[in-house]
Amino acid sequence: MTKTTTGAMGTQARVFEPSPAQPAPVTSTGAYAWLRENLFSGWLNSLVTIGVVALLMTLLPPLFNWLFFDANLSGSTQADCTGDGACWVFIKVWLQPLLYGSYPTESLWRVNLSLVLLFGTLASPFWLPKHLRNKVDIAMLLALPFIAIIILDGRLLGLDYVATDYWGGFALNLFLAAASIILGMPLGFLWALGRRSQMPMARSICVILIEFFRGTPVLALFFMGSVMLPLFFPEGTNVDKLLRVWIVLTLFMAGYMAEVYRGGFAAIPQGQYEAADALGLSFWQTTLLVILPQVIKVSMPNILATAVMLFKNTTFLMIIGIFEVLSTAQNALTNSNWLGGFSTEAYLFVAVVYWVCCFSMSSVAAHIERKLDTSHRS
Amino acid sequence: MTTEHITSATDASQEDIITIDKMNKWYGDFHVLKDVSLKVKKGERIVVCGPSGSGKSTMIRCINRLEEFQKGQMFVNGIEMIDDVKNIEAIRKDVGMVFQHFNLFPHLTILENLTIGPIWVQKKPKEEAEATAMKYLERVKIANQALKYPGQLSGGQQQRVAVARSLCMSPEIMLFDEPTSALDPEMVKEVLDVMVELAEEGMTMICVTHEMGFAKKVADRVIFMDGGEIVEENTPDEFFDNPQTDRLQLFLSQVLQH
Repeated sequence: MTKTTTGAMGTQARVFEPSPAQPAPVTSTGAYAWLRENLFSGWLNSLVTIGVVALLMTLLPPLFNWLFFDANLSGSTQADCTGDGACWVFIKVWLQPLLYGSYPTESLWRVNLSLVLLFGTLASPFWLPKHLRNKVDIAMLLALPFIAIIILDGRLLGLDYVATDYWGGFALNLFLAAASIILGMPLGFLWALGRRSQMPMARSICVILIEFFRGTPVLALFFMGSVMLPLFFPEGTNVDKLLRVWIVLTLFMAGYMAEVYRGGFAAIPQGQYEAADALGLSFWQTTLLVILPQVIKVSMPNILATAVMLFKNTTFLMIIGIFEVLSTAQNALTNSNWLGGFSTEAYLFVAVVYWVCCFSMSSVAAHIERKLDTSHRS
Repeated sequence: MTTEHITSATDASQEDIITIDKMNKWYGDFHVLKDVSLKVKKGERIVVCGPSGSGKSTMIRCINRLEEFQKGQMFVNGIEMIDDVKNIEAIRKDVGMVFQHFNLFPHLTILENLTIGPIWVQKKPKEEAEATAMKYLERVKIANQALKYPGQLSGGQQQRVAVARSLCMSPEIMLFDEPTSALDPEMVKEVLDVMVELAEEGMTMICVTHEMGFAKKVADRVIFMDGGEIVEENTPDEFFDNPQTDRLQLFLSQVLQH
């Protein structure tokens, strides 16, 4: 719509007025419309909907019966499992070994304290004030594995000494995965930097390390760590088995992370380096303040995938005789008091516990990803 | 924009702040810069123009060592440009640069973009750096955006932030590498206004730009480069009204015809 007025220059100018906004066309809304649109939009879609509903109707009732309605919860021996359903008594009785291994019962609070520290740190984006977050987070994360070791070991604090032979259960999977991820991430970044370096010596060393730890199956690495690695140590030194496993997992993680970061580096425009150079930032200032945060942001989905993979790989430790959750479950299954074939319950328990943890990791990572996304936030 | 020329702060007695003597650069076998010699006095405003691929960007990128040259000599504010980290750091301290694509750090707020240099390079306390930053943001008329991220600003605003970021390091010399080429036409003026203001305050400036109006208004000297050489340099009046070489005549006819 326009109308003519006399402008500042004394000439006739048409004044522009934007046309009024129209409401969106009215469509049918509500449950009926939703059903029609999503489930019964065509004959094929309707057929699929009916088929899926029928399948769920046949599968779900027996599953729920087994899981809940016919399941046995009370009691403490195999004899208490009389119903047709799942024998959750088995899980109840074996819960402590499954979660904590053979760590002494009176010292379990030390494991729980370490777990609280771990989750508290991982969840810090949710509770730490923003101005503290970067510095405190990084310091806490890097110190965490060592703090946990001191608490769990106990000798430095004057508590009862608990040898690593007694550490186990799902807590061990968590600690080993967390400790290797925490130390593997910065180590991998150093390797990735080395791979981009102009110095031929540093570059070749990093390439060899990355390719070795990425190209070797993690099981082979575990065997190397537990069998071969001691050969390189001087006679008489006994390096703890868990420590060796931790080193192997950390290097494995670093190898994978280095490749993840490489993709992130490739996504950083040259202009970022030039702007940092022009400001006079040094190599390390540029790397840590300008490049690293952007690399992490770009690589976040792949970092998460790698971390979840490493976490799941900790179940392989069963094979070299470490009492993590899966080997504890197997141990319980072969116990002479529980020879009724409770493998479904045992493996389901391990699967659910793992799933809950991996899902939480995804959620935290998604939250961090959203926080890091500064591109189109208004 | 009027074409009334801003009077220069320079006079003949002042010393050269940049001296480039027979600078040569190759990319592999390709000879990008051929015997480029240039003297810039303190407070002088130089506009460099020329067709693309003529080496103009490469030349100014050599002045803060984003590019290396293989032959020749350069002094910036009395410091020789040699392959020594100390010299390079000292030179970069005196030289600010504004890029065609802004190159702001997308993960930092506008304010953090401005303070990262003062805090980490000049070791200034955070409060002081932020106060200085706000002063410069005020000057480029963008202080109300201080806590936003670069991705939320328009191109023109981002480029003004980039200018402010350079100014926070209190440079003696400002280099502009086609600062308006990546902008939408309606945003060119706001950036040029900031640059004109800077020129009025007596900043030594070297601008690679195609904005001929800016050159006429601000420049003390206009330099025309082609094929890696300085073909012609003159005062803006002479440069535009009385081009000496056929190459410049052709270039001006192509640039100014529309």
